[in-house]
Amino acid sequence: MSKLLKVFLIASFAVASFSAKAVTVASWGGAYTESQQKAYADTYTDPSSIQFENYNGGLGEVRAQVESGSVTWDLVDALPGDAITGCDEGLFEDITTEIADLSTPGPDGESMLEDMENNGLEYHSGWDCCVPQIFWTYVVFYDPDAFPGDKPSSMADFFDVEKFPGKRGVHTWATGIVEKAMVADGVKPSAVPTVLRDQTGALDRAFAKLDTIKDHIVFWSSGAKPLELVKSGEVVMSIAYNGRVGAANLAEGENFEYIWEGQVLDQEYLCLVAGAPNRDAAIDFMMHASTPEAQAEQAKYITYGPMRASGIPIIQAGEPWGPGGVDIMPHMPNTPERLKVSIVSDPQWWSDNGAEINERYSAWMGN
Amino acid sequence: MEVPISTAELLTTDGVPLKQSLKKAERKNKIRAFLLVFPLLLFIIVTFVMPIGDMLLRSVDDTQINTVFPNTFAEFKKWDKEKDELPPEEVYKALFEELAYGDKIQVGRALTRMNYSKSGWKSLIKNTSRAIKKAVKKNEFPDSYKDFLITANDKWADPTFWYAMGQMVNNQTPIYYYNAIDMTYDQDQNVIRQEENRRVYVQTWIKTLKVSVYVTFFCLVLGFPVAHLLANLPLRYSNLLMIFVLLPFWTSLLVRTTAWIVMLQQQGVINGILVWLGILNDDGRLSMVYNETGTLIAMTQILLPFMILPLYSVMRVIPKSHMRAAQNLGAKPATAFWKVYLPQTIPGMSAGGLLVFVLAIGYFITPELVGGKDGKLIGSWIAYHLKTTLNWGLCAALGAILLGVMLVFYWLYNKIVGIDNIKLG
Repeated sequence: MSKLLKVFLIASFAVASFSAKAVTVASWGGAYTESQQKAYADTYTDPSSIQFENYNGGLGEVRAQVESGSVTWDLVDALPGDAITGCDEGLFEDITTEIADLSTPGPDGESMLEDMENNGLEYHSGWDCCVPQIFWTYVVFYDPDAFPGDKPSSMADFFDVEKFPGKRGVHTWATGIVEKAMVADGVKPSAVPTVLRDQTGALDRAFAKLDTIKDHIVFWSSGAKPLELVKSGEVVMSIAYNGRVGAANLAEGENFEYIWEGQVLDQEYLCLVAGAPNRDAAIDFMMHASTPEAQAEQAKYITYGPMRASGIPIIQAGEPWGPGGVDIMPHMPNTPERLKVSIVSDPQWWSDNGAEINERYSAWMGN
Repeated sequence: MEVPISTAELLTTDGVPLKQSLKKAERKNKIRAFLLVFPLLLFIIVTFVMPIGDMLLRSVDDTQINTVFPNTFAEFKKWDKEKDELPPEEVYKALFEELAYGDKIQVGRALTRMNYSKSGWKSLIKNTSRAIKKAVKKNEFPDSYKDFLITANDKWADPTFWYAMGQMVNNQTPIYYYNAIDMTYDQDQNVIRQEENRRVYVQTWIKTLKVSVYVTFFCLVLGFPVAHLLANLPLRYSNLLMIFVLLPFWTSLLVRTTAWIVMLQQQGVINGILVWLGILNDDGRLSMVYNETGTLIAMTQILLPFMILPLYSVMRVIPKSHMRAAQNLGAKPATAFWKVYLPQTIPGMSAGGLLVFVLAIGYFITPELVGGKDGKLIGSWIAYHLKTTLNWGLCAALGAILLGVMLVFYWLYNKIVGIDNIKLG
């Protein structure tokens, strides 16, 4: 064997063993992962030990890894429904004690979980395996130039095609839109999850409301689409992920307006994969990524809100917090006054009923 | 005069019968040939036969949940629905015990499965488990397990949950196949149609087939003249044209899809030009995307090369003299084309058609992006259940049906055209 080849082999082994030590985090990619890189990894004691990998959500890959016994991901950035199912199925490891012992308490000594409850969240079994990341929301936005006179300001307006003619952008799955339809039908936002859970026929009511705008909907299925739809004038207003709208406003000089009323807050977690190759290092990083400071830091790079209530005062005190010296609070979904008119999505209910409702929603869409 | 025929065996020079010696040589060759293809065979078995076998097994498999609740299900089968509205005490007792002492993770997996049979199982069992574990910890065992469970959650008095349990009590089940065509069980395990507002798969199957057939047809209609032109132009022009076919073929799928959206949307290029020319009113802009039209246009363009290339390679070798000869013998150009040229292109049309059809039937990213409300083809549902609901049984059933549909088309094709008639180049 030539000397060069030997050196090469040794070097590649060194690289392989080095990269094997890095904590691998599966996340959604794009601007979101970039914000995680900057807020969580770059502020970590050893930034180079954190590696992000893109995935498209869902538990398919995690289940395949865990079932086959060859786990390559340490952490997964998961939606609450996936956090619940993953934790119940043992795809994620239960770290209740680690969270109790190692997580950073809030400024008034409240535990991390209490800090989350202060933000309007309720315990679900996903909390046993995961640490909080951000609030993101399904929010309606529009270009004010499209409405020279009265501007829409409520869910009722979004569902009123007489008063505000023009098409609406709506996503192709049921989460978020069902709740919004209930608000448009007169249910108080904070009461929507309870009504959906407990009242028989509530879902029929939501679908009846959806029927009223069905012919005025352009359906979208990828997050960048609603911005194109509104920008090109294809629709006059659209539901979107609020972070996308925030990015357009802050970085691309757009002037979109939000309708915060009836926004549906959803959650995002960082979960530990069962049998993670770098379990301890991964837990250490989880604890770092869930401090109020790190959560507030993320808002510098993307307009999603911290899931820990104590993250908000840090941002408020630090304004201008946004890129290039702009205030970021106008774009934060979970300020106290906005929370009053918002729906906090109930992941347990969705994880119970999501499959059935999505089938119904698709049948409704296709007919 | 009779010629005597020797009955003695022919021998080779070393005295071994010729027949045997030949056989031996042949066997050696056979082994060698087998060894040569063995890696490929192994590869096909590992990457193709085994996954498909696994998929087919998964589509009927229900063993996991049966290992979690063996006693509950055994007792459940004894329940006489005519006599008692709710299952007997033994069922409640078995369930209590299996939830109290069952492995948390195995129960968690079973929950995901149970929720497919009826929404709400998940939180029902989770809440009940908590109450049960608390009672067991305090060593308080109820006198009536039935009352205990119903107090813990009144849904245990709701017979519809128990009816749904009937779907899961056997190790093998056809339920996923029924679900894949909008069927389900009623309380007595009779097969009935799914609730009306949930019937989504049959319409998706029809839509998927329709789109695939249309796309194949459009590709053929558009691809045939192009391939003909390519095959008959002088080489230097045809090479240039070929690049126009191949360039989009090599371009990213997402780029092409996005380009179509820009072209087709109501505020897009085509509508803009038509309005500018005065052909359309500003209010009368055509909706060509975010509906089925958009799906057909984008998919046809994306799959077109798969039709053109096999057609081209077949057409190129059809001698030009055939058409000339036919016309020389008195056929009009149309007749000559119909009777002489077209039949010779059938292998190319078949190869292209089959390729495009097979690719189209499994398509889902492009339709989702340009199809709007009509954009969910069967592939979307497979991906959705694979990733989001984790209902791999239903995924497998949908996949198996898809495989079946393709085999039917293949069989039909073989009957009508003959599989030997296929030619890729």
